[in-house]
Amino acid sequence: MYNVDKGLKKTIIQLNRILSTKYGDVLSLDKKTFRDFIHENVGTITKIQRLNRENISLCAQKGGILGVDGSNNRMGGAYPHFVEIYQGLALSSIEGNRPIFKTDFYTPLYPEEGDNPLEDLSEGEESIRKRKLSTIEVEAALEGIKQFNPYAVFMDGSLIRYNIECSDIWMELREECEKRNIVIIGIIEDIKTSIIGKLLSEHGLLEREGHFYDRELLYGLLEYGEMILIDEGVTKKSDEGFSTLFMRSSQSPAVIGIDILDSQREYLEYMARLILSLTPEDGRGIPLWLDIVDREVRIPNQMIKGLLESYLDREILELFFVPERDKRTL
Amino acid sequence: MKVVGITTQQEVYVGSKDKNFRINEFLIIEDPHQGDLMGEVVEAKTYNKYIPLSIHGDLADSSVIESLKAIGYNIEEDTIYIAKITLLNEALYPIETGSDVRPPAFHEVKDLMVQSDADEGLVLGVIKNTDQMAGDMDEQYKNLLYTFEEGKLLDQKDIPYIFNIRDMHQYPHIGVFGGSGSGKSFGLRVILEELMKLNIPTIVLDPHFEMDFSETESYMDKGKINMYKDRFKCMQVGFHIGVRFEDLSTQDIKNLLDASGKLTDSMSNVVDILFKRKDSYNSFLNRLNMLVEAQEEGSLDRINARIAGAASDLEREGWQKRKEIYLNYDNICPYSSVRGIIWRLHRLNNEGIFSKDIRPIEEGLHMGKLIVIQGSTRILQVFSTYLLNNLYGKRRGYKDAQYKHTAAEYFPPFIIVMDEAHNFAPKGYDSPSKSILKEISQEGRKYGSFLILATQRPTLLDETITAQLNTKFIFRTVRASDIQTIKEETDITEEESRRLPYLRTGDVFISQASIGRTIFSRIRAAITTSPHTENPFDELKSRVEEDEGKFLELIEDKLPINGDDLINVIKEIEEDTGITYSFEFFKEKLDYLVDKGYIQKEKTPFFDVYK
Repeated sequence: MYNVDKGLKKTIIQLNRILSTKYGDVLSLDKKTFRDFIHENVGTITKIQRLNRENISLCAQKGGILGVDGSNNRMGGAYPHFVEIYQGLALSSIEGNRPIFKTDFYTPLYPEEGDNPLEDLSEGEESIRKRKLSTIEVEAALEGIKQFNPYAVFMDGSLIRYNIECSDIWMELREECEKRNIVIIGIIEDIKTSIIGKLLSEHGLLEREGHFYDRELLYGLLEYGEMILIDEGVTKKSDEGFSTLFMRSSQSPAVIGIDILDSQREYLEYMARLILSLTPEDGRGIPLWLDIVDREVRIPNQMIKGLLESYLDREILELFFVPERDKRTL
Repeated sequence: MKVVGITTQQEVYVGSKDKNFRINEFLIIEDPHQGDLMGEVVEAKTYNKYIPLSIHGDLADSSVIESLKAIGYNIEEDTIYIAKITLLNEALYPIETGSDVRPPAFHEVKDLMVQSDADEGLVLGVIKNTDQMAGDMDEQYKNLLYTFEEGKLLDQKDIPYIFNIRDMHQYPHIGVFGGSGSGKSFGLRVILEELMKLNIPTIVLDPHFEMDFSETESYMDKGKINMYKDRFKCMQVGFHIGVRFEDLSTQDIKNLLDASGKLTDSMSNVVDILFKRKDSYNSFLNRLNMLVEAQEEGSLDRINARIAGAASDLEREGWQKRKEIYLNYDNICPYSSVRGIIWRLHRLNNEGIFSKDIRPIEEGLHMGKLIVIQGSTRILQVFSTYLLNNLYGKRRGYKDAQYKHTAAEYFPPFIIVMDEAHNFAPKGYDSPSKSILKEISQEGRKYGSFLILATQRPTLLDETITAQLNTKFIFRTVRASDIQTIKEETDITEEESRRLPYLRTGDVFISQASIGRTIFSRIRAAITTSPHTENPFDELKSRVEEDEGKFLELIEDKLPINGDDLINVIKEIEEDTGITYSFEFFKEKLDYLVDKGYIQKEKTPFFDVYK
């Protein structure tokens, strides 16, 4: 038996109490009132259907879909003795045997040009890592577009993220897409926005102060195949040139988000229907195509470890990347 | 195809992107250090990493897979095929992972697959899943047979399974195991056809009256001549063949009587006392009768009175004899037991057993024929004891004389085939035929007498005998206890034994000591057919239709029949055809025809009219 300290137990009970008080109001909101509120203030709730086969085939005829995803593996111990390996993949649905991989690495031991080692450590490091990962994803996407000239690009995650983390190369990709008339969308599994929560507070529907995220507010609110097309001007994303919708794309009560360029807003509904068609009804809500790309890009930690062990000099490996804690046996 | 994963000296996994594997397929592993190694597929699997078996996670439903196809991505192309392969011979080192794998050519597997020339061995079927190798097979192995699958006769595509009958000299005796409907009887029939092809003297004990080879199977080309017609002979115990009473030993006669009706200890004792070696049927029966007659007189005084009052010398002499027997045996042979024996003896005699002998069988064997002996299981049990003792004795006498360099009459080697062998050599208790079967199973090899024993219950077959069966044909078996026995008695693997309940009819594992491994095979289509393959329900139906037809014909020209006129119609029919119907029965039959819609019945105020 494990011996659990009484204090630990108390802390967890307290956590439960805090969360349930905070969300008590939200969770007790009447579903219909809530939906009406969204309809009026956020965007219309519409039910969409899957596309038929012929309709989907059109995508293939126009160049298919490019799925883009990235992965990172970390090896080593605490700052600064670790290395992160990034891999980005762009995979065409038509030419699945010609994947485009991009790789990069980051270690605080070797600050590159442009990185300021004197910057605040944790903050700076975090953003460098994010930038690196986003950059290789965008790079892969760019090359994929040039090679395959697809009909559409599915990015894994919010488009706004690329805008923040690597805006230069992102703008290049964005312009390339607009030029070639390629629809580019971002599919967000865990939405982190708080559009609806803010509006609720503004309208005084929530007495309690606090930050509420769309993820928990929308949980279970939509029916399968229902989407909320967010009106222009409601979110700050629109200032940056993006449109967003939320959709329940599977039987799972969670909701996914889809970002699209404002200039391509007209395709948003078609894209939503395409994604619905590509998503297993009993799944998590993510199109199978993206899951396949994700699986291809992911590298098992074991393999990274093996690669480092084979290609790094033993000295270097031991000196920098094998933390003492890994040698614990107990 | 490549070797993948962790390997051992005995087993490897092989993966392929485009070739699906089949169980029992042979593959050659090209190990860079150890050379080519032969292996057999024991497990075959497919896997698609994008379509995992997950109960809670994303299950790619068919509509999504279709949609993916529509955007140009075929998820099914990512399916990979995996086979577990067991090496035929253990390697010195574990196989190198990454070695190439290829299907073998015929000449590479010839020694493993083909044991004998087609015209010298028993061509029993095909080795399953060998069609890839059969392409460059020698001409002599092609087009030897047909297989029968899903109602159709198919040409031979695989390598033939040819049993080398000469191997029986070193690895004697064959067992044929399988539940009912598994193809066991068919397999036995094919074995017998092949034995006839080679003119091997064979005795078949057939309690089911099914081993007749004169009819050609309906699916076979009618033009094909049935070569087996003249190579077998059916003989029924008591009708064509029997036992010579003078040759019987006390034990034989007790066995025979026991088959006719269960013998009590006391009866058995009476036989011991009253039966004398070289007795004829009549002398033995006479002795029994006289004792009974004397016992019926009741006392010595009365017998003496009979002698005194005899009308003739003959009668006196007769009673003298009875007195003698009475004095000798009365106190040890109870009257009721003696009567019992007489009754049993009569019964056997009425069946004709004592009026014939086994001469026709011996003649048939000398001519290399297949002799089918038919009779009820009880009679066959006893008769076979007598017969096998006799024939085996003759063959042994000849061989022993040869060893001793003395002269003896020639007697050919022969094969004994039995269906339902567990009745003849049961485990756990004695049966008359068991001891001779045991003896042949243990020593028959020396003398050229071999057994082919078929049973659906290998568990019930005597273990000493099972242990001597060097080749075993194992058809579908469902009973756990039988599978257990098979596992213990043969070299089939755990994987193979798990497949036993699911084998298709006619598919068989052949576990052969002479080649040291198990072959998965399909028995060829039999050329001849058993006389009772007609479905009894079909028979019933056609019979009923025939009856209806006949009756309809009889009454057709008598229609319409008035209900008050039935008697006259019955009379007419009787006059015309001699068939008599009772009034009630006739009316019932008419109503039956109405019921079936052949004729109509109209009701009038006075009577019914049939038309």
